[in-house]
Amino acid sequence: MPSYPLPLCNPTDATALLAVLQGEARIWRGRDLAPVTARPTGFAALDHCLPGHGWPVGALTELLAVREGIGELSLPLPALRALCAQEYPIAFIAPPHIPYAPALRKAGIPLSRLLWIDTASDNDARWAAEQILREGGAGAILLWSDTQEGRALRRLQLAAETGRALAFLYRSAARRAHSSTAALRLVLESCAEGLAIEVIKARGGRTGRVVLEAVRAAAG
Amino acid sequence: MLWLCLHFPHLPIELRQPPDPGAAAIAARIGPRSILIACNAQARAQHVATGIDSISAVARIPELKLIEREPAAEKRALRALAVWSEQFSSEVCLDTQRWMLWLEAGASLHYFGGFEAFIAALQQGLATLGYTVGIGIAPTLEAAAILAHPQLQGHSRIVRTRKALLPALAPLPLQLLALAPEAHAGLRDSGLGTIGAVLAVPSAALARRFGPDLTRYLQRLTGAAADPRIFHKPARSYRRRLEFVAPVASLEGLLFPLRRLFFEFQGFLRARDSAVQSLRLQLLHRDAPPTMLELRTTDPERRALRLFSLLREKLERLVLPEPACEIRLEADQFIAPGDTQLSVLEDRTQRDANWSALLDKLRARLGDHAVRGLGLNADHRPERAWCIQTQSGEAQLPDAFPDRPLWILEPRPLRQLPKLMGHPERIETGWWDAAEARRDYYIAETDEGARWWLYRDAITHEWFLQGLWA
Repeated sequence: MPSYPLPLCNPTDATALLAVLQGEARIWRGRDLAPVTARPTGFAALDHCLPGHGWPVGALTELLAVREGIGELSLPLPALRALCAQEYPIAFIAPPHIPYAPALRKAGIPLSRLLWIDTASDNDARWAAEQILREGGAGAILLWSDTQEGRALRRLQLAAETGRALAFLYRSAARRAHSSTAALRLVLESCAEGLAIEVIKARGGRTGRVVLEAVRAAAG
Repeated sequence: MLWLCLHFPHLPIELRQPPDPGAAAIAARIGPRSILIACNAQARAQHVATGIDSISAVARIPELKLIEREPAAEKRALRALAVWSEQFSSEVCLDTQRWMLWLEAGASLHYFGGFEAFIAALQQGLATLGYTVGIGIAPTLEAAAILAHPQLQGHSRIVRTRKALLPALAPLPLQLLALAPEAHAGLRDSGLGTIGAVLAVPSAALARRFGPDLTRYLQRLTGAAADPRIFHKPARSYRRRLEFVAPVASLEGLLFPLRRLFFEFQGFLRARDSAVQSLRLQLLHRDAPPTMLELRTTDPERRALRLFSLLREKLERLVLPEPACEIRLEADQFIAPGDTQLSVLEDRTQRDANWSALLDKLRARLGDHAVRGLGLNADHRPERAWCIQTQSGEAQLPDAFPDRPLWILEPRPLRQLPKLMGHPERIETGWWDAAEARRDYYIAETDEGARWWLYRDAITHEWFLQGLWA
């Protein structure tokens, strides 16, 4: 085993020791010390639950919706709107339905910032997502892929880490029991009060549950 | 005038792409004998050189691959090199028999700031193309050819003035003169050893003994007589053909020669200070119809490697009906780099050229239609209120546009109706064309809490699902 020379300090001085250890990149610091870079979600109650108080930047966020039409696409919209305002392009990759332009425009997304990529296979969709993430110019990608390959998820997470984009991966809630390298995993379900969000994994934070009202502001 | 000669001593073997893996040589029939006219590095390393006959070559290297000469392929390769070299000089002429090109160098020198930089740029470009080259510079074409000869060693390859030409040529051996074998033998038999010795003989005496061709050649060599040539004419469009001796089925087998073709094409574009947004590639097969590929770029492009990597994406996904026996690369429309031919989706991200490179890459692999933008249509029918858009420009919604779901679906008939919410929105339009519609739209909530966008056809009273409030 290689030995690493540490800077000298008095081992009885805990504060000094901690300062030295924190300066060492190869020492993994606990979750409370690891800062998470994040963008506000636009929902204060959700921000409060998430490490870094928002969607993690340069990391994969998994959105596991129990069914369609519960506000699963409305959830990231406020963050997307903010990114568009800063002139970042946004990519929808292999969405399950046609993203409806008038609704997106009405939600404040400039259509000229939006890229819709339609692919013939799940492989192509993940490839496109990786390419966009690695290029680094996009503000966010939303990828619909129900892949079960751990390797594919790891590749996406690695690609997300190369840039500063928000990377949303939509999978079916049936995948909640599978392990995932995503930094943040949310299970979405509708409830009487609105959209119930269960945080089942949060790197650098805690799991928990939050209910958002009026996510689907437009739908009644 | 100052001429720079590019001599490609191994052209016949180096034009083969991918290179032969083992010792290989090109043989040509000269009279009754088969003589090697070019050998690759592996053969040369085993002392098989140009000029020996095939039988003794195979005796030296039993596994030597002997390839029959293809003069047409040599011509095509040299013409492609002439096109490529237009980027360095506006006056180019060539000799396909001797595998030589000449560039008028006087004007280019100013541009490159001296011989060293000019020669270095040429050498670097030719190394990328995969050719060995000898370079000589002199005031006459034939003198430049002598100075470019690979056997010339320890002698300056640059002669700048007519005055310096004769003293520079005089000590060089006779063999460097571009003469027929009989003339060489005759001069040698007369006891002459150097170019200077030949030039010292009165030209009338030489003409009597060897005929007028020799004296005319010497006059062109020294500049005593003009050396008119047909100059290579720059073409308006780009056409390059490459035939394979054996049909190629593998991706690597195609990419190897294509890489060179793209660098040649880059030279062509640089010569014209232009770029392309589209490029056609045909792969010809023996029996099947040709495979056509079209490359399109978002921004005008002239970099070989960018175009090559786009093509690679396309080729990787291509299934050939049968091996390719010929490649054709064609381009007709050229534009100044920086101008845009088509208005496309990504000009908003001009701040980042990488973004359009990315879009090109996505299009190359996924197809042009897979990469799209969204636009609005002024139509009250929801299914027609949007469109796929490839042009940028922000559409505006009318004020007080009603709420709409984020997912729109092809209308699906509904058998069971979920719980309806609120008042219907009547959409009535389209009597002026065939697709007349009168519908009442509702928001509905399913038992599971999903919200749907439904309508009832006001004429048939049937219910349809058309959207999801995602």
